[in-house]
Amino acid sequence: MDFAVTTLLNALTLISILMLVGLGLAISFGLMNVTNLAHGEFVTVGAFAVYFVQSMGGSFWLGLAAAPIAGAVVGCILEFAIIRHLYSRPVSTVLATWGVSLILQQGLELAFGLGAKPVTPPVEGTFDLIFTVYPAYRLILIGIAMVTLLGVILLISRTSFGLDIRTVIQNREMAEGVGINTRRTYAIAFTFGAAIAGLAGGLVAPLAIVLPQMGVNYLANAFFVVIVGGVGSIGGLVAGSVFVGGLTSVLNYQISPSLAQAIVLLAAIVAVRLRPNGLFNGASR
Amino acid sequence: MSDVLLKAENVGIRFGGLQALEALNLTVHDKELCCIIGPNGAGKSTFLNVLTGTLRPTSGSVRFLGHDIAGLPLHRIARLGIARKFQIPSIFPSLSVEDNLKVARWGVPSPVRPVGELMELVALTDRAATLAGELAHGQKQWLEIGMALAIEPRLLLLDEPTAGMTPQETLATAEMLLRLKGEFSIVAVEHDIRFVRALNCETLVLHQGRRLRSGPFHEIETDEMVRDVYLGRR
Amino acid sequence: MIARDRNWLLIFAVCVALAIVYPLFADGYKLTVIRDALIFGLFAASLDFFWGRTGILCFGHAAFFGIGGYIMALITLNDAIPFGSLLGIAGAVTGAAFVAAIIGYFLFFGGIRGSYFTIVTLAMGVICQQAAVSWSSVTGGDSGLIGIPPIAFDLGGLHVDLSQDLPSYIFVAAIAAVVVLALWSISRGRWGMVLTAIQDNEVRAAALGHNAPLRLLVTFVLSAAIAGLAGALYVCMAGLVAPDLSGLLLSTEVIVWVAVGGRGTLLGPVLGAIFIQRAQQTISSFNPSLWPLLLGCVFVVIVFVLPDGILSIYARVKSLFKGRRRAR
Repeated sequence: MDFAVTTLLNALTLISILMLVGLGLAISFGLMNVTNLAHGEFVTVGAFAVYFVQSMGGSFWLGLAAAPIAGAVVGCILEFAIIRHLYSRPVSTVLATWGVSLILQQGLELAFGLGAKPVTPPVEGTFDLIFTVYPAYRLILIGIAMVTLLGVILLISRTSFGLDIRTVIQNREMAEGVGINTRRTYAIAFTFGAAIAGLAGGLVAPLAIVLPQMGVNYLANAFFVVIVGGVGSIGGLVAGSVFVGGLTSVLNYQISPSLAQAIVLLAAIVAVRLRPNGLFNGASR
Repeated sequence: MSDVLLKAENVGIRFGGLQALEALNLTVHDKELCCIIGPNGAGKSTFLNVLTGTLRPTSGSVRFLGHDIAGLPLHRIARLGIARKFQIPSIFPSLSVEDNLKVARWGVPSPVRPVGELMELVALTDRAATLAGELAHGQKQWLEIGMALAIEPRLLLLDEPTAGMTPQETLATAEMLLRLKGEFSIVAVEHDIRFVRALNCETLVLHQGRRLRSGPFHEIETDEMVRDVYLGRR
Repeated sequence: MIARDRNWLLIFAVCVALAIVYPLFADGYKLTVIRDALIFGLFAASLDFFWGRTGILCFGHAAFFGIGGYIMALITLNDAIPFGSLLGIAGAVTGAAFVAAIIGYFLFFGGIRGSYFTIVTLAMGVICQQAAVSWSSVTGGDSGLIGIPPIAFDLGGLHVDLSQDLPSYIFVAAIAAVVVLALWSISRGRWGMVLTAIQDNEVRAAALGHNAPLRLLVTFVLSAAIAGLAGALYVCMAGLVAPDLSGLLLSTEVIVWVAVGGRGTLLGPVLGAIFIQRAQQTISSFNPSLWPLLLGCVFVVIVFVLPDGILSIYARVKSLFKGRRRAR
């Protein structure tokens, strides 16, 4: 019993992180059709923000507040300097954002030096859940992720900015016709996605190995989430995260992580073959 | 009735709550020419998608030479002998006119017409080396008809073949099709009346997804009801 | 013969001539440097054959290079297997082709194109590298496998032994030349023209009777097979195989070679590979972490300044002059 609950909680931790990282990708890749290979670096930047604040003597919570800001700043610059000039050239976007990703990785390495960066969680110890004993920080992580996701849902469904985003996504020309500044909406949405990914990086920092190169794994997994889940809905994001995160956690218990990754990749490919429009979108061609 | 090529029976399509097509029948005999007309939004293109197998009807059936073709991959449908001209000129812009037709011929195992003859048929012989993307709009439409001919179809489906053409080009297109009449069956979806008048063939009039009238064009043209919903407006 | 084909053959002939006379002026070390660069050139040509003709970018091509390398290493390091070199090459080519066939089948027939394809192949590359690191009982883990013998075999009375610098250079150069020429004739002929058509308008091509997914799949598999061949050649020349041969950095570098050399030219990527590696060695000798930083900048510069590669400078200058003449 406790084994099952632990696995479930592990899966929930991973799913929470994937949902946050995937959210930004669902916006840029799924809805704006921008393949941003530097998305993983938003996570890295968020994690480094927490490390930096802690190493300067700040608390974890201060670092966690800095993480989305760091992600947003990098995202905003990236959108402004590169992505907005390449909306009509998908392959160029892939190449340019990959270039930025390499520059950011090496830049962080030059700035902070080689080797993994230690980040300490705000709370040590475990929490007794009757069935099992679980690290308290992971429970906090799951909670923050869920609250964030709920906030995003409310933002998109209840505010006028959310309405703008939904309009632009549905029909760009028409949105321009009714006076929405699509460029600005895209830029804000992109920056927002980067901020959420930065927050994910900050949350995961105490659990992960904080390295300049850590982003690429999140990048690949987040893309799987979006591809498997289908684009255009929070439901798809959740479905994709549960599929990728759940499968990875369950497999991780049985086999080596890289074999688990390979199986998740294959499963994702097969899922896409069977349901090209995503798990969540009912119609299968 | 051994020469029936395409038979659509009682075809209906429902998109969610919208009944896009309802109880449509169409029989195309071998080497027959017919037209489907109707105002915008009448369901012409939807019906054509059903006839080419790209869209599966929610009720009724479409059979080509007795086979159910709904949902077959596009290239299999082409190899059965159904060629299609899309509404937006759909060609290979980065290949020359000649290469466009070559690629089209390679699509089927045993093409008959040589490229030179195809270029002559669609009046593009002097543009052989031009990149297809640089052709004038009407010439792109003709090139696409030429490509459809290259695969030696039993049935040629044309979706608004004269869209965006000048009146002269429209008539030239009608003449082109009349010259081909008798080699294979042709179904043209149109809303340009001059073009259909020039063809003067069996015509099905659609209105709001249903059959309004059908018969030879000269009868259709004088029909009060058709005039009301469609011709009269123009 | 059209002028573009004639120009290509002319440049190809010049390259072959240079490759033939090069050993007269170079010592053993320089020969091996060019030999290894040529192997990567072959690898770049394999990517260009797919990317250049289909417009679909594979972001994990090093996976096939690495798979070829590991299979070659495992077969030649096993003394129980006879004809190690020949079987190794065959196995490397088949193995890479097999993996490409599986992944390609699901993607192409599932309607996956464009960015989605790029992403999945990127993930494939990441996973291959991870697998090479963690499956250490077979792959030797982080440190890889060492002591891979040079290629040696007898074929129909022909005795081939590539333990010396000159024979190995000749062998690699000959294979590179033959493969590049073969890929070029495939891509300018019927096969390539249909691929261009599919890239232009896949629905149209399918509606004419072309089985577009199958054609893309076969092209991808062939491209992967050649990448596997390049990987097999490389590990025998280097004597070792390591996880970064299938890694993301190599996948990235090969894209830069193709993009800088000129996508779709096949020869440009080979030259791109040779020159950029030369530059890499010089730069890395100052500071090893400078290279990835520079590589990133190169990506950004290519996209904004030279979208058609270095060779396009020539065409641009030419059209500039033409424009001037016309203006007069």
